[in-house]
Amino acid sequence: MVESGSVQNQTPHTMLAQSSGDELARQEYVKSLKFHLASKVSPANALAFAAQGGKPEDDRHEVARLLKNNPFYNTWSAMLRTSQELMWRSVQLPIERTFDEIKDRSKKIVPAGGSLSLDPELEIPAYHRHVDIHCMPGGYHGEFAEEDFSSGAIYDRAVYLYAMGRMGPENSDIGDTLINLLRDRFPDLRPLRILDMGCSVGHSTLPYVDAFPEAEVHAIDVAAPMLRYAHARAENLGKPVHFSQQNAEHTNFEEGSFDLIVSHILVHETSHHASRKIMRECRRLLRPGGVVVHGETPPYRDLPGFDAFMLDWDTRNNNEPYWGASHEIDVPSICEESGFDPAKAFESYQLSAFDAAEAKRTRKFQGGDFGGGGQWYFWGTQA
Amino acid sequence: MAVVDNGTFGERRLKMVLELPRKSKGHRPKYFEDAAIDRVLAITLSLAGEVSVLRDRIDTIERLSSLGKPFGPVDVDSFEPSAEIATDRERWRANYLEQVLLVIQQDVDDLKRPHSAHSYEAAVKSVENT
Repeated sequence: MVESGSVQNQTPHTMLAQSSGDELARQEYVKSLKFHLASKVSPANALAFAAQGGKPEDDRHEVARLLKNNPFYNTWSAMLRTSQELMWRSVQLPIERTFDEIKDRSKKIVPAGGSLSLDPELEIPAYHRHVDIHCMPGGYHGEFAEEDFSSGAIYDRAVYLYAMGRMGPENSDIGDTLINLLRDRFPDLRPLRILDMGCSVGHSTLPYVDAFPEAEVHAIDVAAPMLRYAHARAENLGKPVHFSQQNAEHTNFEEGSFDLIVSHILVHETSHHASRKIMRECRRLLRPGGVVVHGETPPYRDLPGFDAFMLDWDTRNNNEPYWGASHEIDVPSICEESGFDPAKAFESYQLSAFDAAEAKRTRKFQGGDFGGGGQWYFWGTQA
Repeated sequence: MAVVDNGTFGERRLKMVLELPRKSKGHRPKYFEDAAIDRVLAITLSLAGEVSVLRDRIDTIERLSSLGKPFGPVDVDSFEPSAEIATDRERWRANYLEQVLLVIQQDVDDLKRPHSAHSYEAAVKSVENT
């Protein structure tokens, strides 16, 4: 059964590393291994749980207690962790080899009207310094060469492998889907200034340029290598975006200067305090009537205990320390704490915008199967 | 007839212009009682990947050979599989992974149809007494 689609289907652009035959084959192997684990091995964890005496009503902590020493679960876990490490290495190799070529190509990009503003003095938040998030060696912000963009180059390809292509050829599914949610929930919203927080390489940022052609799109991230890559990629794809190196907890934008603030899988990579500071900053930045929406995977309260446990795998196994706690955020409370009207807080599920992935989905939210659920969870509010 | 280039790409391939960290910051979890098992499993999965890489390379060589024209490492390294070839390879990898991970599939089958050591002992007793 062929399910996951070739790595070559990722939209080519001038910043994307060109892999040799062997390098491509190694990436394809990682993708196939991840798909095998998600579709053939992971489902049997539910059987292992039942064999240990687990019951449907058990909460995720009870599931964890039952499966902690289960040999089948641990073997799957060990393989999934290894697939993650192999993934990063498979993507690093072509970039280590062709870094200079990509740099040369980046100098020939025809400008599209966006901009890049870096702040070498910006302090990288502790939650990014303590561990390398999702086991990406060097993290988002690590710099290993002059004008380094390697972490952006790595992330661009790795996300495609990690999601097994199911976030679309430009890895834009969360942005595309959030836009669909806006059309449904705020049909009259006509944003003139949009801010994407924690944009990384701009996978989810670029859809806003097409969806709201009259808007000025800004995108921030703490990591300079991501932003260098994001800027070059956006310009090459002809999408003007203003990228700047800023912490979403406290930006230098003026009060009330945005109609729409979005983030895509940002919140779970911050911290308890940071997520609250980010919401307070959103409150400061939004004009009256402005909307903020964060895209994530479902909160644990919406899932049966076993599914919540499987989704929580990343917290202890994939260097995502805030994953678990972020999936327990109480939306009206965090909105109220940050100065929004809690009555306007919302939570919503939206079917994935990338229909082409339909046949490849496992329909499960589980560790190592990012994008397999076929829908995204969004929460937010209106100023 | 095309000149066969046996050098450029092969040499370039070995020259890394950048060295990135191999290990992410943060403790690697231990999954088995003996940490050596964690390592052996990781090596095995990595090695299975390298076999898959070699298999794709052989497939490329077979396809280039069938064209009846001379070719060299550069052609092999820069060969871009068509969508059809990519699908064939993906199908091969899916079967290959089922083969390599056979013992895991056996565990899955056992979980689907539980049969305990007790029932096997019962089977031994049954044939000894009948």
